[in-house]
Amino acid sequence: MATSLPTQTNGSANHDDSFTQKTGLARMLKGGVIMDVVNAEQARIAEEAGAVAVMALERVPADIRAQGGVARMSDPKMIKEIMETVTIPVMAKARIGHFVECQILEAIGVDYIDESEVLTPADHAHHVEKHPFSVPFVCGCRNLGEALRRISEGAAMIRTKGEAGTGDVIEAVRHMRTVTAEIKRAGSMSDAELRILAKDIQAPYELLKETAKLGRLPVVNFAAGGIATPADAALMMQLGCDGVFVGSGIFKSGDAAKRAKAIVQAVTHYNDPKVLAAVSEDLGVAMVGINCGSMDSSEKMSGRGW
Amino acid sequence: MTVNKGKGDVTVGVLALQGAFSEHIQLLRQAAEILADKHTTLVRRRWTFIEVRTELELSSCDALIIPGGESTAISLVAQRSNMLEPLRDFVKVSRKPTWGTCAGLILLAESANRTKKGGQELIGGLDVRVNRNHFGRQIESFQANLDLPFLSKANGNDFVGTNEPFKAIFIRAPIVERLLPNVNGEQIEQATIEETVIAPSRSMDETVRKIINIGEVEVMGILPGRAAALKHDGTKEKLDAEAGDIIAVRQANVFGTSFHPELTGDARIHVWWLEQVSEALNRRRSP
Repeated sequence: MATSLPTQTNGSANHDDSFTQKTGLARMLKGGVIMDVVNAEQARIAEEAGAVAVMALERVPADIRAQGGVARMSDPKMIKEIMETVTIPVMAKARIGHFVECQILEAIGVDYIDESEVLTPADHAHHVEKHPFSVPFVCGCRNLGEALRRISEGAAMIRTKGEAGTGDVIEAVRHMRTVTAEIKRAGSMSDAELRILAKDIQAPYELLKETAKLGRLPVVNFAAGGIATPADAALMMQLGCDGVFVGSGIFKSGDAAKRAKAIVQAVTHYNDPKVLAAVSEDLGVAMVGINCGSMDSSEKMSGRGW
Repeated sequence: MTVNKGKGDVTVGVLALQGAFSEHIQLLRQAAEILADKHTTLVRRRWTFIEVRTELELSSCDALIIPGGESTAISLVAQRSNMLEPLRDFVKVSRKPTWGTCAGLILLAESANRTKKGGQELIGGLDVRVNRNHFGRQIESFQANLDLPFLSKANGNDFVGTNEPFKAIFIRAPIVERLLPNVNGEQIEQATIEETVIAPSRSMDETVRKIINIGEVEVMGILPGRAAALKHDGTKEKLDAEAGDIIAVRQANVFGTSFHPELTGDARIHVWWLEQVSEALNRRRSP
């Protein structure tokens, strides 16, 4: 059962009005599905399916995986076409640490930037300093320390990393369960113990303390990386996520429009197995997928960033 | 579910198909506590706040909030969850107290423009035309301190800081571009305007008609110096002088704001609205 995000959280050391606006948009996306799209036509399908936002990128993670090479920010022209086509928010991905890609995305007016491990990292050590931007950021995490480091840098929204482009939900579940378990543990600690934990998980103490008190991350937290079915989406919601990103799972499946609609319904009615059963019916072929258990660790994207 | 309800019991629903519904529930709880402290004259209410995803849940509600979120997504999910018609019945046939914020305001409008290709379904209830994403994209989102006269009129003396301006958060916000005359049936004239969608007409229940007079739309809040709040000159040019800058409206039990009181932690509007709900129920339950 998800813990509600309180109406007022700090979520950052240098909390200000602009951070309220950034986290505010993320709050408006809650209970919704954000879909990866590679062109205007797919963006329209996503919008018609009831997506709350689209993520514009050149290749979905499954193709990045298959084709290899360096994956970079998408062509601004393609992103702009998508922005002109749909009225819902448009997000776009920048490489980890590539603050100039972020400047470009801000200049063309995207609504959210995903500093994403799905693209090839541009910096071996640094993530982007996100507070100075007026556009909000979402970042991936595998555990509590990573989530709080990103929030401290200015991320206004967090998602699990999962394992993008696999259609295998196990890593998203692992990351969500890890974050939840760590927050639960922190919740029972004294201030002195929290200081040690902050050092161990390399997270800012104040943010960790706030998180422990809230019993959840201080910003909106979505699931991502391997969600391919309505049941996967509802699973992540029941595990406490605020919403769901679906990447390759939709447009690598047999009937994209139908599956997209079904996943949207599943995220709203995640606690109603009868609705979940109805929407899971007759969706055609799911994305083939890759079993994460058979992957070499060097093939995994979730290890990118720290 | 509606049986066995005591006279002082009120169930307020928050439409939970998508968006910031939990924030409204939190603010409603806060508001109910404030009301419990201050009220001596009004009947003491026992408030219940619930998330609404189904027709059954809606049928137990005396009043409803439609929260911020993505109006296209909420509208599509409502349609596919067989909620659109029950919502229209709730708002337009029974005319039960309803408040929409941001996306909720769009859904409660009789007319909206700049919707997605192919338009979107509206619930209706407010004779206004709203302009979606009026201020532009997320980087044009902003905050402004508003003077909301209705707040100071609402038992202001009991309310610490009521005369303080309300810090309003606008996120990809719509505005009320025009007040429309109340017409018998749909806003047909609006339908002829390019890229404009309208809500279908539903006639008010006969017994409700005896208690409630629809009347004209009341302007409840205006955003001053709007052009100054915008960062980009390109957006300024789009401002339509005739349009005004109306960001809160009310018409016979239906209230809409284009900003997000649920993001502020300031429960004053929620307190005021619960008082309105309470008064509306008094009128309805003791005719």
